[in-house]
Amino acid sequence: MPNEASPLPGPQSPGTGLHDLRGPHSPRKIPGWAATTALLLPAYAWLTLAVFLPLATMFVFSFLNKTPMGQAPVEFTLRHYRAFIDQGYLVRIAWNTLVMGFWTTLICAVLGFFAALALVRCTAGRQRETLLVLILLPFWTNGLVRVFSWTMVLRENGFLDSLWHLVGDGSISFLYSRPAIVLGLVHGYLPYMILTCYIALITIDDAVIEAAQSLGARWGTVLTRILIPLAAPGLISGAVLTFVPVIGSFMEPRILGGKVGMTLGTVIEDQFTQAFNWPLGASLSFTLLAVVLAIFATFSGVLKRGAAA
Amino acid sequence: MTRISRRDTMRVLAAAMAAGAAGAAGLPARAAGGKITVLNWQGYGTDEAWSLEAFATATGIEVVHDYFSSEAETLTKLRTNPGAYDVVLLNSARVSTAAMEGLIVPADLATIPNAANISADLLTNPNFAIDGKGFAVPWVWGMTSIAVREGVAKPASYKDLAAPAYAGRFAMNDDAMIAVALGALTTGQDLNDPADMEAVKEALKALKPNIKLLWSSEDQWNKSFAAGEFDVSMFWSGGSVRSRRNAGLPVDFVVPAEGAVVWVDGLAVAAGAPNPEGAAAFINWMIDPKFYVEWATKVGAPASANAQALAALPADDLSAQVHKPDYMVSKNVMSAMPDERREAFNAAWEEVKAFYAE
Amino acid sequence: MRLGHIFLGAVLVFLYTPILVLMAMGFNASPLYQLPFQFSTRWYGDLMGNEGLLTAGFNSIVLGVITALVATTLGTLAALALNRHSFRGRSLLQLLLLPPIAIPWLITGTAMLIFFFWTGIGRGMHALVIGHVALAVPYVVLVVGTGLKTIRTDLEEAAMSLGSTPVHAFFAVTLPLLFPSILGAALFAFAVSLDQFVVSYFLSSPGYVTLPVQIYSAIRKGFTPEINAISTLLLLGSMSVILIFARFARPQSPGASK
Repeated sequence: MPNEASPLPGPQSPGTGLHDLRGPHSPRKIPGWAATTALLLPAYAWLTLAVFLPLATMFVFSFLNKTPMGQAPVEFTLRHYRAFIDQGYLVRIAWNTLVMGFWTTLICAVLGFFAALALVRCTAGRQRETLLVLILLPFWTNGLVRVFSWTMVLRENGFLDSLWHLVGDGSISFLYSRPAIVLGLVHGYLPYMILTCYIALITIDDAVIEAAQSLGARWGTVLTRILIPLAAPGLISGAVLTFVPVIGSFMEPRILGGKVGMTLGTVIEDQFTQAFNWPLGASLSFTLLAVVLAIFATFSGVLKRGAAA
Repeated sequence: MTRISRRDTMRVLAAAMAAGAAGAAGLPARAAGGKITVLNWQGYGTDEAWSLEAFATATGIEVVHDYFSSEAETLTKLRTNPGAYDVVLLNSARVSTAAMEGLIVPADLATIPNAANISADLLTNPNFAIDGKGFAVPWVWGMTSIAVREGVAKPASYKDLAAPAYAGRFAMNDDAMIAVALGALTTGQDLNDPADMEAVKEALKALKPNIKLLWSSEDQWNKSFAAGEFDVSMFWSGGSVRSRRNAGLPVDFVVPAEGAVVWVDGLAVAAGAPNPEGAAAFINWMIDPKFYVEWATKVGAPASANAQALAALPADDLSAQVHKPDYMVSKNVMSAMPDERREAFNAAWEEVKAFYAE
Repeated sequence: MRLGHIFLGAVLVFLYTPILVLMAMGFNASPLYQLPFQFSTRWYGDLMGNEGLLTAGFNSIVLGVITALVATTLGTLAALALNRHSFRGRSLLQLLLLPPIAIPWLITGTAMLIFFFWTGIGRGMHALVIGHVALAVPYVVLVVGTGLKTIRTDLEEAAMSLGSTPVHAFFAVTLPLLFPSILGAALFAFAVSLDQFVVSYFLSSPGYVTLPVQIYSAIRKGFTPEINAISTLLLLGSMSVILIFARFARPQSPGASK
């Protein structure tokens, strides 16, 4: 199993095995595999019962000609995996969805990285903790209600326009557009990125930055040569936690997008709520999952090569 | 909006919690004689607090609700929770599927005296009756057609919806069945089985410059209309009554020359219902003129399938004015259809939406 | 650095824009959220009489706390193994964390409904706990994993070279360093549970509803600013609990107070 293919935070490096529980210092001689299994089993057993087995069922459904809940006999078919060929417009929708995911992730990464940097570099102690809590708290409201609040901000003669009318005329409303969808998504996922970048950046030693600056390194050099590489694990985790759910999202596009709010997520939702075509909805979801895995495999491959070069 | 008294809520809640606890403990959801569980849309007649209180006083039966958010989900919930429900609401287009699968049992009309006042046309309609056995009891009928803001020109035909006068002012219902029906009516075809699907799609695509948004809930419709985002929309007849009466929104319901998309909702007894007698009593209560008049005048409702109930409405009532019996045209009633056709309808609507999104 | 503070301020303004609107609309008289703003406490009055919504809010908090506790424990253990042990199939296990995040919740929820029906798990609070924990675990593993990856290991090694057992070294050195990550992960797990309307919707039984389920079923006919009122109360309540907790029970976390 090549570790290079993993997009997720892996072990530090093959060389630093000293802290391993199997280390020679272990007096009780717990076999390594037993410790590993004991740590992994609860989480993965739980996931197997609650997610993997149900999703495996859905995967089987995706090869059936109709939702196997009625009494009509079902047949095996690959038809639903041909949807992107048979229904050509889906390719365009998929592309729009990926572009939406890309912009959301990019904006989250830039804002999240600098917010985390500001937290680490400009705040300390209780002030920092308070700020962190304040950043996470908006998450503790229901997403549906948050998105509805955005519609009140963005719509014509909404809160944004009211502010604008203090200085200008007309309307700067952009509800029911792609930027509105991205705005809503960025708002929903930014705290993940801030948190993961913060966790990565907090371990940076001030001395390293000071040393670099005393050697004449400019701010830009410090940023690109020290800070971003150090924050990379956080940026990658944050990107996973943003991009992956965003391209399957349906609530924000539907409510904020108006007639341009069609994404793969809404097509999948329609198959479940309107069409009762679970096989098609499932096959689209698993295709989406395959695309996500492919993107991250490629991406992490490029990263590893870049790091090795 | 609905006002719920605290005492009442507490009582229903207590019953619900007890049921929940029993369910959580893994016991079969066999309820005592004094309780029924109803599966319906939230806020669609059966869960009006004043009615449930009166029903409990009259019969001693407590009513607990579970809700669904799409018609397809109704069947899923019935299939995955056998024995959990007593009464279920089913659209005319879904009754036969549920009946064929044995999810509902034929209604025993002898225990539902008010059914005598339902028109024979509806009772024996193939959507509700199979081999002469009536499965769901027709409860209300309503329409999906055009809602127009007061002071805005009323379209005389569905073709007018594409007129430049409504540029960026039209809101479409994000529902494949309604969308295809609209396209079919615009092009003079059968809304349950349009022969020329390409023409349907073209008619819908022609609406693109006028479409402001696609709505999927009455809540979204009301808030968006109140904010002045659109003037013309495909909307529900009963919804337009509620919007005008309860929210004071300046909306008129218009049925153009081609007629409205008509749907009939029925109440059925679920197979394996823990309390079938209670279910029958509740269905009888729901089609009673007394309940209907109060519901229609207090809240706003579609038209009752019970002719006496509809006649009992004051002539100047908004529900009565909107639901003219002439609009109840049987060829416009949404009917059961094979899965393949439903799939084709959905694919057509997805394609049109993709065109809108370009 | 003033620039940093300005930037953080701007981010907070962005994050709180819809939150402030949400709170404001709880005090607006219009049931349809219409502007101009007219002050009213009507919705708070209605909320106090709405036992259904209050119970749902209470259920949501209980469920969120259980989810956060269980998911954080399971996720932290798994993150330790995935980041500190090397074994066959590790990459595969890491990739397996993606499906619960990548597959839209609607599908996961439907799949759970069917599977729980077939296996007799059924619906109700226990089903919600099973579902919510499973959806929160991948987030915990990723967040704690990021923390583990960036914590210096030389301290733990030093402790062990001084005779500490690995388990003791972990509790004495690594765990305190990891504490901010674990806390952050727990807060996220709680948020995932509180936000999880789709899966909750499928798995809750008729008698057991949570706030997101209430909101999701109310959406067809219309929800009133009572929803805003209870969201505001929940938010302010949790904000005060956390800030009080942070003030009186601040653990020694060398990473956070550096």
